[in-house]
Amino acid sequence: MAPEVLQSTPAPSTGASPHAIPVSSRWVARILGFLLVAGPGLIVMEADNDAGAVSTYVQAGAQYGTHLLWLLIVLLPICYFIQEMVVRLGIATGQGHAAMIYRRFGKWWGRFSLADLLLLNFFTLVTEFAAIALAIARFGINPAWGVPAAAVGLAALALTGSYRRWERVVVLLCLLDLAWLLIGIKVHSLGGTWMRQAMVPSLPQGGMTGSWLFLVIAIVGTTIAPWQLFFQQSCVADKRLRIADLGAARLDTLFGAIFTIVVAGCMMLAGNAGFARHWTFSDPAQTAVHLGAAFGPWLKNAVLLLMVNAAVLGATAISLSSAWAYGEVRGWPHSLQKTVREAPGFYAIYAFGIAAAATVVLIPRAPLQLIILSVQVLAGLMLPSAVIFLQLLLNDKQVLGRRFANQYWNNCVNWTIVLLLFVLSLLLAAQVALPQWFPSA
Amino acid sequence: MTTMTESLQLDPAPRRVYQVLHPLDDAAEAKVDLDRLGPMRLTRTVKACLYILRGYLILMSALLAMHVLQLAGVI
Repeated sequence: MAPEVLQSTPAPSTGASPHAIPVSSRWVARILGFLLVAGPGLIVMEADNDAGAVSTYVQAGAQYGTHLLWLLIVLLPICYFIQEMVVRLGIATGQGHAAMIYRRFGKWWGRFSLADLLLLNFFTLVTEFAAIALAIARFGINPAWGVPAAAVGLAALALTGSYRRWERVVVLLCLLDLAWLLIGIKVHSLGGTWMRQAMVPSLPQGGMTGSWLFLVIAIVGTTIAPWQLFFQQSCVADKRLRIADLGAARLDTLFGAIFTIVVAGCMMLAGNAGFARHWTFSDPAQTAVHLGAAFGPWLKNAVLLLMVNAAVLGATAISLSSAWAYGEVRGWPHSLQKTVREAPGFYAIYAFGIAAAATVVLIPRAPLQLIILSVQVLAGLMLPSAVIFLQLLLNDKQVLGRRFANQYWNNCVNWTIVLLLFVLSLLLAAQVALPQWFPSA
Repeated sequence: MTTMTESLQLDPAPRRVYQVLHPLDDAAEAKVDLDRLGPMRLTRTVKACLYILRGYLILMSALLAMHVLQLAGVI
């Protein structure tokens, strides 16, 4: 008698697949099912703790101590809500974000969104390589050799023709960021003060200055970046997540959001060590040197290596979001499951972005820290526009039906987020146009 | 993805076996056909809002560029 196969979901799986893993416990099956689905959520969130984020969070800690920790707590639900919408859209349609905008809003808006994404991604990639250059220079490695070597390594990471291989390596890199927790525990010495400041919003001494506001917008821009929308939806589509995987994909995203905010908080605590000791902040690599002098050379090495890790994570995710988006809009084959021969355009965009950004970084005397912070602010400015497209797509019942479309409460939350983002960008505009309204630090 | 197989003939008490499958090993799932639907119908208000948003974005990017050049000491 043939075994009876019972399915509780509409997904097309049958127990007959030679790749199916048999397990006898329902809980083991659930956990294993989650582990197979997980990846895009963790990667998109942790890759967002990229080199620019390390720099921004450490600067926030170095200039304002733990006074901006509360902002991370506020940003946790926001980044989950936004990315959860992307997961729903990706699973329901099997399409990337750029493809959705191109097909549902038409070519004009599709090309505009793509141009915004490619421009911002390129500048962000420059910041990743800038951080690699800063970090390896502190190890005594000449950036003229180290940066091209990192670029070659990044290209090799994606060129294997296997989504799974890429995902396993990148998840491992994400988990290396757990070392930030050890650093946070090692350097903080404020007792319960940081916990109180994380829970209760407060202004630093001197109040709301122009530089404080600039940093707040940069933190928002680095915690929720437009490339994340494109990356996760394309990743979900490339991994071919099924409708039955929605719950696990949501959990993956929530876990990733919590992980990234905890790591970001530890980065601020590392910067706070400098604030408490009145070190002048110039860049995170310099902070690493100060930390090494105060707590031992291992800490300097750890922070510098984590900077490189953050840059590698950010660079692979950002380059892939560009390559996926460009491939989707041009109608080229675009999948990590394809070989270079099968998807030459997709891999060419990935490699070209990396090579161009690495080249820009090697230009001497570029103000790297200013570039890094400004890119985060630019991301913060572009985010409301990206979220509005997302919001319109999530209300497209013709495509999503009632099951996947936004509910009333989703729309209320999301419009509130868009409003907050607009207020922040208007404050930035006011700061630039009317600087006398904002006291200097 | 988890499916459940129930073997009835071997044990007196049925032993359930759950089959777990990676999404990439599973058959591709049928999704909504976007080509058939075509572009979304946008009301004039939504279109106008999108154009205003585009203008706002260009203006804000220009302001940011100006601010960054000020900070860099170029202007």
